[in-house]
Amino acid sequence: MIAAIRALDAPIRAKAGFPRRLEARLSTGTSKGPNTKVDWADLIGRVASTREREAFKRLFEHFAPRIKGLMLKAGCSSDEAEEIAQNTMIAVWRKAGQFDPATAGAAAWIFTIARNLRIDLFRSRARADRLRGTSELPETPDPAEPADAVMSRVQDAARINSAVKQLSMEQSMVVRLSFVEERPHPEIASLLGIPLGTVKSRIRLAMNRLRDILDEEA
Amino acid sequence: MTISHHPPEDLLADFAAGRLEEAHQLVVGVHVAGCARCGRFVQAIEQLGGLALEDIEPVPVASDAFEQVMSRIHDAPEKRAAPTAEVARGNEQDVPAALRNYRIGKRRRIAPGLSMRPIELSGSGTARAFLLRSAPGSRMLEHTHTGTELTLVLEGSFSHEGGRFGPGDFDYGDDEIDHRPVVGDEGPCVCLVAMTGNLRMNGLLGRLIGPFVRL
Repeated sequence: MIAAIRALDAPIRAKAGFPRRLEARLSTGTSKGPNTKVDWADLIGRVASTREREAFKRLFEHFAPRIKGLMLKAGCSSDEAEEIAQNTMIAVWRKAGQFDPATAGAAAWIFTIARNLRIDLFRSRARADRLRGTSELPETPDPAEPADAVMSRVQDAARINSAVKQLSMEQSMVVRLSFVEERPHPEIASLLGIPLGTVKSRIRLAMNRLRDILDEEA
Repeated sequence: MTISHHPPEDLLADFAAGRLEEAHQLVVGVHVAGCARCGRFVQAIEQLGGLALEDIEPVPVASDAFEQVMSRIHDAPEKRAAPTAEVARGNEQDVPAALRNYRIGKRRRIAPGLSMRPIELSGSGTARAFLLRSAPGSRMLEHTHTGTELTLVLEGSFSHEGGRFGPGDFDYGDDEIDHRPVVGDEGPCVCLVAMTGNLRMNGLLGRLIGPFVRL
């Protein structure tokens, strides 16, 4: 199975009977896939500078269904996933001016917004408030960040990108499945066709490798 | 600030994915905000989150979702949500900037040289968060945990068998660990703590003050 995944690294091979979805998931996704020909960062910039509705609509049509898909994977109800998708896009509109393509990819930026809104949703539910009951979006308090930290983030961005790319596809996949999609380890094992112990050790290795690469390049 | 003790990678990855409960999210978040090394790790996981978002199978949103979103954008003025907390702001020297959006309760004395301030959370999780202040040179009571404890040093230092922990350092304790921290002489030690379960103080004095540690 591992060999099979490796073979799929060459994009063309993926057509050979592999489910479309897994094929897409196994692509590196780093600005080469069919979905990423559009310059999302540029569209966000246009939303920021001219409030361009058309640019926003394209962002919406691409990202809203994906946010919903991700939230469903991560255990949200359908209503919650819809709500987070919509609220994320509202935040994309409002915060477009804060997006800095030098520090984060568009998808990673949108991911962090959706993540924060999900946290907010769970907290506001705990406070027995309804998110829709308030006209404004609650904000997760962000730890304050000094200006020099922001500068170093810009310098770090290239390093982080290169570190993520240095992970093997199997490592990247297992981290995504476990942490981003929040799938239990046994499910990852059956999805990838590997033993449970391998899932655990692969996650551990991926974490250590990421840390090592980032430290090396420091 | 030289940070030598960091959160374990899986905790950082859970933080980046937004999977930690609130108290843990807070403590790890304050560490990450002050630690470039862990900040890079978190950003790397966020990049993977972005890749996952690109690759995920889209699920159709409501047919009128775009119109709903546009009308909500136009109906609601673009204002930042006003901070809800009115307590514990401004004149408080010992509250770090990263906590300024949280409501922080009054200082409570736990024992001679030891006080704490609870941090108000939404109640979505089971862990509590508080600021713990210990006098310089004090020897903390020997204690064990019934749950887990995440500790971030904000000021001063403490040492235990795991090493010396200064500002920015992160310490992870669970029920396997028997702590007997000693606070450094250089000044009071202020820590941000997230704790599940209860501290179990050992010894007579511990049993006397134990109930106060439960918040």
